[in-house]
Amino acid sequence: MRGVRARPWDRRSDPIPRHAPVVSRAARPIDASQTDPDLPFSPPAPRIDMSNPFVRKLEGFGPLPDADRALLERIGANAHLIGQRVDLIREGDTPDGVILIMEGIACRQKHRANGARQITAYLVPGDACDLDVALLTQMDHTITTLSACRVVRLPLDFVKRLTDEHPAIARALRLSSLVDEATLREWLVNVGCRSAIERIAHLFCELLVRLQIVGFANADSYEFPITQLDLADTVGLSNVHVNRSLQELRREGVIELKGRTLKILNLQRLKSIAEFDAKYLHLGARAAA
Amino acid sequence: MTLKLRSVEIATGSNDRESRLVFDDGMLVAILVRLSGEHGSLADKWFLEVGFGPVKDIHAPLFDDLETAKAWISTRLTDIARRD
Repeated sequence: MRGVRARPWDRRSDPIPRHAPVVSRAARPIDASQTDPDLPFSPPAPRIDMSNPFVRKLEGFGPLPDADRALLERIGANAHLIGQRVDLIREGDTPDGVILIMEGIACRQKHRANGARQITAYLVPGDACDLDVALLTQMDHTITTLSACRVVRLPLDFVKRLTDEHPAIARALRLSSLVDEATLREWLVNVGCRSAIERIAHLFCELLVRLQIVGFANADSYEFPITQLDLADTVGLSNVHVNRSLQELRREGVIELKGRTLKILNLQRLKSIAEFDAKYLHLGARAAA
Repeated sequence: MTLKLRSVEIATGSNDRESRLVFDDGMLVAILVRLSGEHGSLADKWFLEVGFGPVKDIHAPLFDDLETAKAWISTRLTDIARRD
């Protein structure tokens, strides 16, 4: 079925409790009077505590003019609250916008007829689904929230104007797509060449860096709302093997999982198990992160 | 089909040790491991640690007891025999 299903953002957001990021960023007040009439949605009441990981991510690829920055900040004010395990767009649907994750974790996934699935990417705050999705007539995978998320959908014509008229944003978005592809290659190496514990260690290292960039992780911990089953379908292992690996990492004093918070107790050891090298994330000046 | 079980202990790198080798007509077709307490509510269930040939399946269910596990393995072997 293509293109006719009501999307989550067509409904009023339910009052789902949002989970706060591990590290709260300084509040950036958003003045409703600054709202650009060209923006895709008439914004809800501005959230004065809203900080925008999309801006933080794109700024990481290079400085943005003040006007660009202000524009991206305002985009974030239009985020919809969407519950966990909601399909934002499904395989076969006609793409009708670029999805931005402002808070929470979503994933790209593929399903087999027998019910098995593979998660092929995590979308963390600041991440967008394919910028050039407008060129496709139908989605080849499904994007689903793993936790409750704050999500923005940018209509395709808005994205076109955004990239046509704001070259610095266009450049940052293209770099971001390259990093997405590099990350996918790394994940392919993960499932093809690494052992169970190495796969999980690698993912934990990667998430620490990615979440730090957008202010959702501190030096050694972050909120980790992913279930063990999701993790199993991410790294291509059984639930039992994932649990064994997590227990081993705990026993060795490398990590601690308390509730939904992952604390890395020995980052050097975790990196060493995973042979983690953040080069593929192309951090540039942020490499010290 | 009569599956025969042999008790062994397996070094899985975890506390899951108690295991059964599963033979079909003298041929090893699977290894089942009983999950230890470190699996919480799944403790004591039987896990298909390894399946050979048609029994291989990383998405196999967990089994409440050995009889259920044997029935599942038999079905896998029978399905393949019928397909041949």
